[in-house]
Amino acid sequence: MLGNITLGQYFPGNSFIHKLDPRTKILSTLIYIIAIFLADSAVSYGILVAFAALAITVSRLPVMLVLKSVKPILIIVLLTLLIHMFTMPGEHVLFTWKFLMVTEEGLHFGLKMGLRLILLLLFSSILTFTTSPIVLTDGIECLLRPFAVIGVPAHELAMMMTIALRFIPTLLEETDRIMKAQTARGAVFTSGNLVQRVKNMLPLLVPLFISAFRRADELATAMEARCYRGGEGRTRMHHLAYGGRDFVAYAAVCFLAVGLACLRWGSSLCVL
Amino acid sequence: MSIKLTDVFFTYMSGTPFERKALNGVSLTIEKGEIVAIIGHTGSGKSTLVQHLNGLLQPSQGQVSIDGVNLAGNGSAALKVRGQVGMVFQYPEHQIFAETVYEDIAFGPRNLGFTEAEVDKQVRDAMAFVGLAFDSFSQRSPFQLSGGQMRRVAIAGVVAMNPAYLVLDEPSAGLDPRSRNAVFKEIMALHRSRGIAIVLVTHSMEEAVKYADRLLVISKGRVLFDDQPNAIFTQHQAELLEVGMDEPQVYKLSSLLRRQGLQLPEGIKDADELVKKIKQAKGWR
Amino acid sequence: MISLKGLKHYYTDADGQEVKALDGVDLEIKKGEYVAIIGANGSGKSTLARHLNALLLPTEGSCQISGLDTSQEENLWLIRQQVGMVFQNPDNQIVAAIVEEDVAFGPENIGVPSAEIRQRVDRSLAAVGMSEYAKHAPHLLSGGQKQRVAIAGILSLEPKCIVLDEPTAMLDPQGRKEIVQTVQSLNKDKGITIVYITHYMVEALVADRVVVMEKGHIRFMGTPHEVFSQVDELEALGLEAPLAAKVASELRKAGHKLPQEIITDEELAQALCQ
Repeated sequence: MLGNITLGQYFPGNSFIHKLDPRTKILSTLIYIIAIFLADSAVSYGILVAFAALAITVSRLPVMLVLKSVKPILIIVLLTLLIHMFTMPGEHVLFTWKFLMVTEEGLHFGLKMGLRLILLLLFSSILTFTTSPIVLTDGIECLLRPFAVIGVPAHELAMMMTIALRFIPTLLEETDRIMKAQTARGAVFTSGNLVQRVKNMLPLLVPLFISAFRRADELATAMEARCYRGGEGRTRMHHLAYGGRDFVAYAAVCFLAVGLACLRWGSSLCVL
Repeated sequence: MSIKLTDVFFTYMSGTPFERKALNGVSLTIEKGEIVAIIGHTGSGKSTLVQHLNGLLQPSQGQVSIDGVNLAGNGSAALKVRGQVGMVFQYPEHQIFAETVYEDIAFGPRNLGFTEAEVDKQVRDAMAFVGLAFDSFSQRSPFQLSGGQMRRVAIAGVVAMNPAYLVLDEPSAGLDPRSRNAVFKEIMALHRSRGIAIVLVTHSMEEAVKYADRLLVISKGRVLFDDQPNAIFTQHQAELLEVGMDEPQVYKLSSLLRRQGLQLPEGIKDADELVKKIKQAKGWR
Repeated sequence: MISLKGLKHYYTDADGQEVKALDGVDLEIKKGEYVAIIGANGSGKSTLARHLNALLLPTEGSCQISGLDTSQEENLWLIRQQVGMVFQNPDNQIVAAIVEEDVAFGPENIGVPSAEIRQRVDRSLAAVGMSEYAKHAPHLLSGGQKQRVAIAGILSLEPKCIVLDEPTAMLDPQGRKEIVQTVQSLNKDKGITIVYITHYMVEALVADRVVVMEKGHIRFMGTPHEVFSQVDELEALGLEAPLAAKVASELRKAGHKLPQEIITDEELAQALCQ
């Protein structure tokens, strides 16, 4: 059944991180990602891992759930590791076999890149696990709003996301219904070669598109009837407001980023 | 020759927190040539039930067979008997996809492997049944027709599969009274001339009492009553109200008149009969 | 409140044919009135409804809402605040993925301050009996509940008049009852003018006035008693009369004296059993 698909990967909860303002979470994630690219030593990577572990603990998400989110990119991580391992020239040769050569530098660099990817995904998934798509949309709209003056359609983007979130379940239900109706008329969706399969999908896709357009048309009329005329002059029922915990969160990630910057350039300054 | 459900249970999303039992042990037989109406509150399980009739859903427990062939198998026999049961879903016009009326109606019979000559004959017959003139409609785009006409195209698409059983889920939903009557007239004509069994899912007690020989009342995933409509509406009014079903207007009016002292017999089925009985009761001619 | 004079609406259909959807309609609707409009498919009743909040503009004639002409563009938003519109398919008029966010959509559009939006949303949801579903996702509600959310979404704009275009056509009997009761209470308790379009005549019985349309014209109108006792005329238009009216009319035709305006079961019982 298509009915049980949940949107995004929001995992409802009541933790410190769940309660943060969405803007805090989005910006903190960005700062953390910057911090990842500042790290260049084992110590700084250790700090990054510890920070991610702390965030997961505070969010009270099941650890396995968060770790699972890394699964889709494991192949990419592995490829990155292998490519760097085998192609990076270096002085300390660990291992040679025919034309392949593994250097210590290559291994280090490969591991570093892999770890960066994993941390990046891990931390962003804390954001999506603890923030419902609707709240996330509000946050994005609010953050983009200052850029409206340079032509970023902040309100329009947010409205599109809102409508998409509203209608995806409806369209999934509809897909299920049309699929059943055509199956009852003897349609088969899964056999044949690629061309054949695409052709077989037409009895599903055509009605689905027609219905989506009809819905879009009716929705546009209904929105107009409810005085919708774009973002100008619009107010909102909910205002995003920062609370004390948001400043705590900002302080923590900023401290992390500044600390890693010091570790990187602070030491090179000493050497100079 | 029949559709037979034996002790059918069905659970949605079994094993998840969203688990919901939709059917709780349904056993029934639908004979060829019957007209059966199925009524029940939204969420009573009636939609789940009819989706079992041609294998769109497979029972979690129990078995469904058509003409003696178990639907659970994936063999050619099971696939073939499924074609015996035509399903007209709610708002069937939403499943239309082809460029012409002809092509859309031909979709089903072609999938069943009919020869082009057979397909052509079935399409023509089906269009005649639903009152769409072949010459003026067969090459038109179905999307330019009126709502009532599109519904007819969709019903014709199922009729053209030449089913022995026809399941219709609220075929009159959203139509005005004139189109509603027209659609039912066509379905009844089909029943008479081809001897097809009709399974009619409806919210309207009026339709149930007017068209069906047999009525199934579904509640909480079980068959609550299975009898002639008249018998159910005269003997089980209280229970029907309890499960959120109304009685037909004509029964309501007759029983009000009876309570007010008019000598009317039980089981008056339509307005004409009521008029006749009132005249008798009043000693009018 | 609403005044239509010689209203005509013509358009050209896909085959290039001119369609006269409305062909000269005159209608006055008073403030606080409950008017039902009935007619077969294609009689022009939906087209009429869409003129009342300027979603469509007259080809000829005029449509005035509280003295504001719909054809003048500067009146558009004032008119849409005064006349709210509820459509047939509840799914396709709910914008947001949370009930209360959707109800807030209208007042947000017209720039109501945040604190007041909150109050309006709470009041509107209470008026349709959906307060406990404020945080729910609309797609998990029943048809009747969705339609009540849609009504609340209009109420939050605080309109003087609500036009409902076949609001029950896609609902089950339970949902139909919910909507009829909700609309009745809005009319009685809040004094909102109601224009209710339907082809279920039972739903038109509660109106103050029933308007019967055919082919872009008003065929006749009057109180429910006046209209629904015209059994033969209604059937000729493809509409149904209430059962009691039908039975009374048959008995009258057979030469028995019965009062003219019988439309409910109780009235028939009284006439027959006194």
